[in-house]
Amino acid sequence: MLEVRINELAEEFGVHRNTIRNWIKAGILPAQKGPGRRYLLKWADYVALCERFGKRPRRLPETAKEEESKKSPYRLLPPSTPLYPDPSWADICLTCGACASACPISGVDGLDPRKVVRMAALGMDEELINSDWAWKCSLCAKCEESCPMKVEIVQLICRIRSLRPRDKIPGPLVRGITTCLEKGNNLGIPKEDFLALLKYLARELAEECPGFEVPIDVHGARLLVTINSKEPFAEPESLKYWWKIFYAVKESWTISSEYWEGVNWGFFSGNEEAMRAIVGRLVDNLHRLNCEALLLPESGHAYLATRLVLEQWFPEALNKFKIYSVFDLLMEYLNKGLLVLDAKRHPGLTTYHDSCNYGRRSLKILGRGYFEEGRIITQLCCPDFVDMQPNRNGNYCCGAGGGAWSSPYKAERIFHGRIKARQIKETQAKRVIVTCHQCRDQIKFFLNKEYELGVEVKYLWELVADSLVFDPS
Amino acid sequence: MECGRHFNIEILTRTELLDIQGRPGNFRVSLRRYPRYVDIKRCIACGACADKCPQVVPETTKNLGSRKAIYLEHPQAVPLKYQIDPLSCLKLTENSCGLCEELCPTQAINFEEREEVLEYEVGAVILAPGLKPFDPSRVGLWGWQSPDVLTALEFEYLLAQSTRTNTPLRRPSTGNPVKNIAFLQCVGSRDLNHCDHPYCSTVCCMFAIKEALLARQRNARLEISIFYTDMRAYGKDFERYYQEASEKKGIRFVRSRLHAVEFCPQRKKLRLHYVNIEGRQVEEWYDMVVLAVGLEVPPDIIELAHRLGLRLTANNFAATSAFKPVDTSKPGIFVCGAFSGPKDIAQAVTEGSAAAAAVAEILAPVRPARQVSQNQLPQTIQGDQKPRIGVFLCHCGNNISSVIDLEALLTYAQGLADVVWAEKHLFLCSQEAQKRLQEVIRDKGLNRVVIGACSPRTHEFLFRRALREAGINQYLLEMANLRHHVAWVHPQFKEETTQKAKDLIAMAVAKVRCQEVLYPLEVPVMKRALVLGGGVAGMECALSLARQGFEVFLVEKSASLGGNARHLSYTWTYENVQYHLLKLRKEVEKNPLIKIFLRAEVVKVAGHIGEFATTISSHGRRKTIRHAVGIIAIGGGMYRPFGEYGYGEYEEVFTSLEFDTVRAAGDFRVKRARNFVFIQCVGSREPGRLYCSKVCCTHSIQTAIDLKKEDPSRRVYILYRDIRTYGEREILYQKARKLGVVFINYDLHGTPKVSKSSRGLCIEVWDHILHRPLEINTDVLVLATAIVPNPKVRELASLYSLAVDSHGFFLEAHSKMRPVDFLTDGLFMAGLSHYPMPLEESVAQAKAAAARAATILAKDTVSLDPVVATVDLARCDGCALCLDVCPYKAISPLEIEEGDSRVKKIQIDKVRCKGCGICQAICPQECIAVANFTLTQLRAQIRAALSGEL
Repeated sequence: MLEVRINELAEEFGVHRNTIRNWIKAGILPAQKGPGRRYLLKWADYVALCERFGKRPRRLPETAKEEESKKSPYRLLPPSTPLYPDPSWADICLTCGACASACPISGVDGLDPRKVVRMAALGMDEELINSDWAWKCSLCAKCEESCPMKVEIVQLICRIRSLRPRDKIPGPLVRGITTCLEKGNNLGIPKEDFLALLKYLARELAEECPGFEVPIDVHGARLLVTINSKEPFAEPESLKYWWKIFYAVKESWTISSEYWEGVNWGFFSGNEEAMRAIVGRLVDNLHRLNCEALLLPESGHAYLATRLVLEQWFPEALNKFKIYSVFDLLMEYLNKGLLVLDAKRHPGLTTYHDSCNYGRRSLKILGRGYFEEGRIITQLCCPDFVDMQPNRNGNYCCGAGGGAWSSPYKAERIFHGRIKARQIKETQAKRVIVTCHQCRDQIKFFLNKEYELGVEVKYLWELVADSLVFDPS
Repeated sequence: MECGRHFNIEILTRTELLDIQGRPGNFRVSLRRYPRYVDIKRCIACGACADKCPQVVPETTKNLGSRKAIYLEHPQAVPLKYQIDPLSCLKLTENSCGLCEELCPTQAINFEEREEVLEYEVGAVILAPGLKPFDPSRVGLWGWQSPDVLTALEFEYLLAQSTRTNTPLRRPSTGNPVKNIAFLQCVGSRDLNHCDHPYCSTVCCMFAIKEALLARQRNARLEISIFYTDMRAYGKDFERYYQEASEKKGIRFVRSRLHAVEFCPQRKKLRLHYVNIEGRQVEEWYDMVVLAVGLEVPPDIIELAHRLGLRLTANNFAATSAFKPVDTSKPGIFVCGAFSGPKDIAQAVTEGSAAAAAVAEILAPVRPARQVSQNQLPQTIQGDQKPRIGVFLCHCGNNISSVIDLEALLTYAQGLADVVWAEKHLFLCSQEAQKRLQEVIRDKGLNRVVIGACSPRTHEFLFRRALREAGINQYLLEMANLRHHVAWVHPQFKEETTQKAKDLIAMAVAKVRCQEVLYPLEVPVMKRALVLGGGVAGMECALSLARQGFEVFLVEKSASLGGNARHLSYTWTYENVQYHLLKLRKEVEKNPLIKIFLRAEVVKVAGHIGEFATTISSHGRRKTIRHAVGIIAIGGGMYRPFGEYGYGEYEEVFTSLEFDTVRAAGDFRVKRARNFVFIQCVGSREPGRLYCSKVCCTHSIQTAIDLKKEDPSRRVYILYRDIRTYGEREILYQKARKLGVVFINYDLHGTPKVSKSSRGLCIEVWDHILHRPLEINTDVLVLATAIVPNPKVRELASLYSLAVDSHGFFLEAHSKMRPVDFLTDGLFMAGLSHYPMPLEESVAQAKAAAARAATILAKDTVSLDPVVATVDLARCDGCALCLDVCPYKAISPLEIEEGDSRVKKIQIDKVRCKGCGICQAICPQECIAVANFTLTQLRAQIRAALSGEL
């Protein structure tokens, strides 16, 4: 038996004391309460925990020698059809370890980006496809950013995900996609409930913004706005932030009564058909309602996935309609002088979290990343600003991207977020501005609590809505 | 320094090349000279200007501090002259100040100087523009913005500062002593993502180890980790240096490439987060991080190359051929140094000499006419008269006079015995003072001179010239170094320094009084060279000398010319070796100045530089060749690993060269094969052979690329320890990976195991990333075996008294500055008998050896320093203690008849002797003396020092 203190273990794993307590509570770390705030655990359980989170056991009993000699050799017989189409996905790897060094979940389940690439190069396809690691990965591309050989690690992981038998994909993801395809949104909210909710919310908002009405299926509106089903389901109030902005700038906009979901989980499971179907519906809506532009205000992946699908399968729609990211639209309003923001309403040190999909990945895939826009807008509302280190292209993921939010690997997700939590702590900021739903929920509801950050977490548009100076009359 | 005072070299600083017109032998080059605003003929580098210059300019490199608007580029600058930075000088920017002009004691400042275009007529051009370090500020993640993250160069400045001031290494951010340092390798090299540099910068691994060891010397408790991808210790003695650093000197080497350096504001330290080789996460904290930045071609040099129409490689290095490593694509324009690919000092120096040889080849016809040599003046006044000593003191601006009371010193000097004249000057090195010096010597009838100024290292040649020109023997001179040994080292003790200066002058006077007249040893030069070894190195060397017009004897042991190159099909840049070899052989055979001896071996050697007599035995007959210089290029061999990895046991196991042969012959074992395994470092980097064979990684990778290109469905595995594809060879490594060659590192988990079963050969090796055993069934196993020295190296070494290193390769005079010279004058080396190397480096060495040899052959006599040892045979008792200590093997035993008995004595070869004085120190009979450092002279000096009076 091994006698440990909670804080010792927390330091060893780079997580918070709460995380260790939660691990004990959840049975991830079977431990008994010992004398004087100590816990007793079995050596084997300690070693297993190290294995699970990629740490080298700091102490090892004499008996726990590695069983190296017992490993039987793997016969190298690369499959006739390779897992990947191009050497730049794996073969070109220098095995230098930069990717694994950059990855916050290196070593989890004994894998890391370098090992994944290596296994792919050596033809260990089956093992890779069966491993859960690819699903614990948040596709944040921090590994790619550091790779000197530009190995397409994220594409490789997406390919590995796509090859998993469909019945073995993490449940919530499958359910989300199926529901979305069948019922039009990930959570299966019926049309009547949805419309009723919107009307109710609009009435509420009208008290603050006289004359406000929610424009549903308005033909000829300029802007079609999609919605993340999580919002009407769990946080309807948060819909009002955008509405208030639209009201202030007198935008001509609309919401479709059907297929209003912009979230696209096919992107996470490597389900191209689903991706295409979901985006196809948005394109139909644009045509049907005769809109000029589309705004995707959900998470970073929704914007990226939609753009990608449009580029690949609907190039004519991409030509015809303008696709707005949240940054594009807010910057447009600002540049036109439509937004007047009060810099005094949000005192206190504020920091900004770069979403991997809006930043690093958009830069790589679409050739344009959003780094400065968010900072400009944030600093207009919160002049007392500090950047996290590293930031922009080098930023760490919150831990919830790439479908990790919806997957059942919560312990790993929290573990992943320890670096984000540390980054936030090191800035000593009191407020974090985010631009993606996953980032926001992960930081606000999980990292905040687990790592005792005590920070206020706001969407960028929530910050704008709360800083708006407008005359309701 | 040597360059600066050479009669045939004119140095143009602050000058750039604009254009070259014409053809080889007759070029017209236009140069743009930027104004220095300081007349270099007048400037005596006293520093008065910089002292008072009000304009402080911070250096852009960290830890270099700041300079003034008028400054010395660096303390060792040649010429040692000040210059004005026109961008920060107040006079030049705002037309104010001008203080330096008023202060300059020699009126050297000239604000009227303007940019000018110069035109020169030259026969050939050598480009040696070098490279610049990669700028890491381009990538934020490497953390250079933090003051504690330094480039390797910046770290060197910090180290130098700490050494100079004898203070501990301190963190620039906090000023606290540094406890641990991390070096990150491959910053700006082998990287397509953060910069477009697919190549390896070649030198960073070694400079990182060097800096780490230097830092440990400053502080033995400093913890240093070097994070690397492949440790590229491929050069001569590099591997041992690396192994010692790792095993004995406590430097920690971690095989992991780091993605970022993060500064933690709370801890005020640098966080490195990485996975170790086992794939586990590690977080470490460092006080300082050094980025081992790579090299790149500066943009203005790329532009110049385009302007001149030179062909460049994909990475903007000058394109050269392996057979003409210093020729650019334009005839008559040559290149040396890192511009043709990153390289270390030894290789750059070698190429420098090689380029000189290439130029000498085309300029051979005009060489005698255009060469300027030192003119010899008759020396009328001799030293054996009664000493009449003159003492000349120098203020050196106020360098010396501000610390030493020169008036008192002058009076003191005038009072010393035999001193008939003493005077002082503001600057003794100025032209006026030099003239005055000669007049005084003549007018006052001086026959000995003491100079109280600066270091003989920099100025002795100048004063010797003045003596010569005044007509007295140049060795009747003694310098007292008042600047470096007195004024600069303890300026705070004014009185004591004056006393010390007095002592130094008294010592110099005491010594010069018994100084003797010496004449340079003139050794006649036979205008012939001997080249041993008819491989590529030997042939290239012979050909280069012949093209320069010298007669060459080329001696080859085997029946034909060609050497090891006969087994190679192409170079790493895919040039056909056999084609070039044939051409080279024909050219050598055709050249009337080259006499070839095949099946010949050296049996006896006598003589010395200028006149060696080497006896060779050829076809049973003996022949003695007389020659001025010798070049030894006897090549190397291949290690045969019997008993290792089933070599000699299974027919599917080959060495690299054997495999090339069977493959070229279309052997069925290769044709039929689907799986190929290469094992690297067989016989290299092992105890007993602790060196890297340098060429095997590239060779195996090239073979692997060929195999894959022929049939992409083949499986090729290369099992290695470190891939050492230095320079642009790295691109081959990349290409091989792209083609699907699998690289497995066996350094971590031990050597591969080879067994044979019904399925064929089976290799078991652990994967370095997955940490599990892999089993590879293969049809062919190729062993990349070591290059071993030619066994004849030791034989020749004893015949010519040459030094050999512990592995059996020849030892050069200085690993960096004299890479192809032997310590014995007149002998040079090239090729594999020096160290394993690829073809182009062999050719470069051969040409370099030819250039070095030609510096002797071009003269009728070699004049050697007469400061050498002589023996008084009357007192020598033949104890021979001196024999063993002589580092130059200049002393040999001698038997002479004394009456009717034969007695043992020793003799000293004046040509070999370098005057180091070890024999003089050890001789119990005190019968050996080094000229002008005799015991009488030294005792007189010591007496003067101890008495303070004579």
